[in-house]
Amino acid sequence: MATTRTIKLRVNGRDYEGTAEVRKTLVDFLREDLGLTGTNVGCEHGVCGACTILMNGEAVRSCIMLAAQADGAELMTVEGLAKPGGELHPIQEAFREKHGLQCGFCTPGFLMTTYELLQKHPDADEEEIKEWLSGNLCRCTGYQDILESVKLAASRLRNR
Amino acid sequence: MPKAEPKLPSELPITQPRYVGKDSPRMEDPLSLTGKVEYGNDIRTLGMLHAAILRSPHAHALIKSIDTSRAEKLPGVAAVLTGKEVKAWSRPVFGVPEGWTGYALAVEKTHWAGEPVAVVAASDRYIAEDALELIDVEYEPLEPVVDALKAGTGSSPCVLEGKDSNVAYDRRFVFGDVEGGMAGADLIVREQFRWHRSSGNPIETCVCIADWDPFTGMLTLRGGHRSPHLILPALVISLGVSSQQVRIVQSPLGGSFGVKTFARYVVLIALMAKKLGGRAVKWTEDRIEHLVGNSSHAWDRHYDCELALKRDGTITAMTMKLVDDLGAFAEWLAIGMLLKPLLCLGSCYHIANVDYSCKGVLTNKTPQGPLRAFGLPPHFWIIEQLIDIAAKKLGLEANEIRRRNFIRKDQFPYISPSGNVYDSGNYEGSLELLLDRSGYDRLRREQQQARAEGRLVGIGVASSVEPGLTGPPMLALASPRIFTRTSSPEGILVRFDGFGKIIAELGFPPGGQSQHSFVRQILADYFGVKLEDIQVLTVDSLSMQPSTGPISSSMAIALSGAVLGAAARLADKLKLVAAVMLEASADDVELFDGQFRVRGVPGKSLAAAAVTQFMMARPDLLPEGVDGNPQATYVWNPPDRTIPDEKGFGRYSVTAAGAQHLCMVEVDRETGQVKILKYVMVDDCGVRLNPSVVRGMLMGGMAHGVGAALLEEYVYDDQGQMLTSSYMDYLMPTIMEVPAAEEHEMCTPSPIAPLGVKGVGEGALHTTPATVLCAVNDALEPLGVRITEAPMTPLRIWRALQGAASH
Amino acid sequence: MKPARFDYYDPRNLPEALEILDAHPDDGKILAGGQSLMPLLNMRLARPKIVVDINRIEALNYVRATDAGVLIGANARQRVLQTEKLIGERFPIMREAGYLIAHPQIRSRGTICGSLAHADPAAELPALAVALDAELVASGPKASRTISADAFFLSYFTTALQPNEILTEARFPEAPKDMAWSVLEVSRRHGDFALVGIVAGLAVERERPVINRARLVYFGVGATPMRVKEAEELLIGQAPGEAAFDAAAQIAGQRVDPSNDIHATAEYRRAVTATLTRRALRAAMQKLKAN
Repeated sequence: MATTRTIKLRVNGRDYEGTAEVRKTLVDFLREDLGLTGTNVGCEHGVCGACTILMNGEAVRSCIMLAAQADGAELMTVEGLAKPGGELHPIQEAFREKHGLQCGFCTPGFLMTTYELLQKHPDADEEEIKEWLSGNLCRCTGYQDILESVKLAASRLRNR
Repeated sequence: MPKAEPKLPSELPITQPRYVGKDSPRMEDPLSLTGKVEYGNDIRTLGMLHAAILRSPHAHALIKSIDTSRAEKLPGVAAVLTGKEVKAWSRPVFGVPEGWTGYALAVEKTHWAGEPVAVVAASDRYIAEDALELIDVEYEPLEPVVDALKAGTGSSPCVLEGKDSNVAYDRRFVFGDVEGGMAGADLIVREQFRWHRSSGNPIETCVCIADWDPFTGMLTLRGGHRSPHLILPALVISLGVSSQQVRIVQSPLGGSFGVKTFARYVVLIALMAKKLGGRAVKWTEDRIEHLVGNSSHAWDRHYDCELALKRDGTITAMTMKLVDDLGAFAEWLAIGMLLKPLLCLGSCYHIANVDYSCKGVLTNKTPQGPLRAFGLPPHFWIIEQLIDIAAKKLGLEANEIRRRNFIRKDQFPYISPSGNVYDSGNYEGSLELLLDRSGYDRLRREQQQARAEGRLVGIGVASSVEPGLTGPPMLALASPRIFTRTSSPEGILVRFDGFGKIIAELGFPPGGQSQHSFVRQILADYFGVKLEDIQVLTVDSLSMQPSTGPISSSMAIALSGAVLGAAARLADKLKLVAAVMLEASADDVELFDGQFRVRGVPGKSLAAAAVTQFMMARPDLLPEGVDGNPQATYVWNPPDRTIPDEKGFGRYSVTAAGAQHLCMVEVDRETGQVKILKYVMVDDCGVRLNPSVVRGMLMGGMAHGVGAALLEEYVYDDQGQMLTSSYMDYLMPTIMEVPAAEEHEMCTPSPIAPLGVKGVGEGALHTTPATVLCAVNDALEPLGVRITEAPMTPLRIWRALQGAASH
Repeated sequence: MKPARFDYYDPRNLPEALEILDAHPDDGKILAGGQSLMPLLNMRLARPKIVVDINRIEALNYVRATDAGVLIGANARQRVLQTEKLIGERFPIMREAGYLIAHPQIRSRGTICGSLAHADPAAELPALAVALDAELVASGPKASRTISADAFFLSYFTTALQPNEILTEARFPEAPKDMAWSVLEVSRRHGDFALVGIVAGLAVERERPVINRARLVYFGVGATPMRVKEAEELLIGQAPGEAAFDAAAQIAGQRVDPSNDIHATAEYRRAVTATLTRRALRAAMQKLKAN
């Protein structure tokens, strides 16, 4: 029984391998071992949603998962949204146009939650959108512009 | 001083502003949206150590001994810092009034549960936290001081060593003829209020990386800091460090709301770095530390207040006695939150006679620290609540009292009883707009119908004034020795590079308020270039111009002033060069639409870029006294502020934004839950440089206000243990609790501030708590009960409802 | 806020998991969804020497229908409450309750069995299990046994599971077709644990308006989910309506065993227990009428 693990996983379509203590949280592994610092840490007890990423297509809180649990998984983080050439994803575009962010710290978590929401429920109505976003805290915006951003992104993605 | 600043966007040297006053894409966004912002916690350097802090489990206890030997032996641990070294190497944390704080670490005793007792630096945070568990501290618990009202009476143990009292500050300010105002009143309403502590809680916690080089003596601080000019004096005083040896590098902030000066922890991590002798150490505050240990709680107040009125609703006097539970120390600038109401004692009403006394008392709780809106939200709630109460007693519509007492449009600039000046406003117009857009009469009818059905529906209407650009003058009332200035400098450097592009360097980082984007908007319109042609950078504390940063609803005012001042200086310089190129007299050259042109000679013009390139290329042709450097700096300062006199009479701030909000709520008669049915706001913050940004800040302030009114509270038990030390119990509003608010704009430009702007960053937090709380009480009104405690939780409301049932 | 050291095992099959657990009788913790355990580990409030992660036991990830009802394996996430047609069709009340459990990002990891085994008395799923007569399968190193939900919850965060047992399956028997259910709770914010919650079931005789079956299970008002049989019995034989609902509500308010915390007092919880009883019974009645 080793206290460290070698973890192989795919993040944003790229293969990574790293060795970490088994107690290391997934968000710390992403940030410190893989250098993917776009995912932010806000509360480390699973409430604020800043660290939300996608694991095998589902939004999860990476602060309350162990890195070892992601061995073999397919992850997506905020770094995987835009095209490498610099083209923003329609969700990012919508957040920009509708001023869905201010300080930007909670934003990666909102974007990743929105990504799964619109993948699975492209026709989500306002109540559904709110239910999905209710697990992400934002202190700057008062949420209204975030809601508008998600609605705009949804309509654009539907009409693509 | 360059020629007069543009007082409105239309006075910019451009036919029609393309960016100023319009929604304009923010330059901060691409990095934020792609996860590329480098926040303090994203910084890692080779060999960097990670700090963790051991915190006192006791609210009040003697430290009998500390043994760090087991922790030091743990592989990976570099050093452990304790109070002994902190006492030897530093002075107590900065605070006003002076002498009411402890060291950055507890030395002889602990003052609150959560106070730092030791710091470990280790190769990673996991190991650092392991080491905390190996530090053996022997405590001898003392009786904790938890009741602020008792703590101030003298029969209580003392929180701070060497003091024989817990009263750190006690002042009374009387303006006008209060006795006369009381005597002449037909009605005096008196009520006691309680406002519980909450805090800013940015989603990014505090981060500090310190590196203190023993050979050069250079102390470098990186991380999520703001306002180096505020932190630096604290470091100089506490650490005895020489100012030119301190370099503060500010990372972008993941929100602040007041907490990102965190001077206590900057001092502490710097001391850890001193012990490490040249190795960088990073401390990332975790959320529990933020809730329990960050000196940023605010407003733990007990009020006793009176409002005196004539039968017709004219307010003749107001008294407010307030005791604020400061927590363990009068730390940092917390005392200023007791003084800020002096800037707007009567809110947007003309109340000539005011008796305001404020007392700051120490207890064994987390020290208070700056919080967005800096002490005003309870003040505005009380005024509005007292007006609502008086209206019922006088048989008047409360808005009638508001109208009767509003400072009228023709009374601006208005000199308040305490001497502060409100630059402009249109409170009555804003209220009418609010009532009209919200369909107030219809809402009242709906309320009547709901009441007839036995439902508890209430409507709150509240007003506030947001003083823009406050700062040092009010703090002179707490420490006249230290606060001797009226300035709040904001400086910038603007230059053209060799390709004709513009670079601006400013003294603060992005933090959500679009600070870099504003600079770009103004410069683009000033020099007639595209947004993309401008780069805006944050420079470190040794390179920056004097800078105050976006605190105290100041950014739009001060930054506009700085940018415009630098742009005007630069344009004046370029005119001299353009005159040579255009073979004209410099007096005849003007900048307009991005062209230097000769007045009255059509077709003779040069783009700014061409002028600057010539300037750098041909020193031989430059006029005398002009160097080949197309750059200018400018430091803007608020005009006309004064140091207050003994009585508290002074001119403290620059602008006065006004806000009027309406809220309709329904209270669940059986569970005490509150549902917000409607929320409408009118905000008059003068000219909006970027309307969507202003609207976003207002919505954010409104959400913050909903938290303060209904959800957020730090609760302590009778031993001084905090019971709300995680986000499971400290309840931040989510999208489900925040209403979809309507926002309507009123625009009364500031005649003083550049471009007619007013400070609005603290915004709706001034008004929303009052509006929501008054709405809840309006809902309860038919039952004859009233709640005077915020936040109004389901339990508090339910208890009031029980009281009603037993009537 | 980082976990203390522990040894970590992620067995691929159940016997292996049970063997590891059996070898560490008092210092092991099972990691399923982790949505309660991980915060406790991060805060160092939980200090297990070993963590047995059962997520890689594929055989435990299922929701299936049998004659005995719907079987939910230990690795089925709370999300299935909303996504599994089987659950939505047979237990619409579970689907409804699903929306009260935290947030989508929590339900994507959190498991149904994990919530049951964690036994937070303010959580929705334990109360649902009691209300719906769930049977819980405890697998031990030598054998497995079935525990009725009624007997499973012993106290705050305490169940009838032995330290070397894993809750591997929750079985929800086919519910009587004529029964209508409602679930209500009062919480500070959407998604928070309940201050008071109720799962109520009601059936009325076909021929005449008389209640012939009732089920009232509360959460957040005691050390375990609390079924108040006395209140149920009061309803039986009564005409469905305010008088009967009120009588049941009164008794329920008296019989629950709530405590004080910063968000609510015991008194408040008793009063709201009565309120929610009335409301939940009305809602169930509405559903009966609608059918």
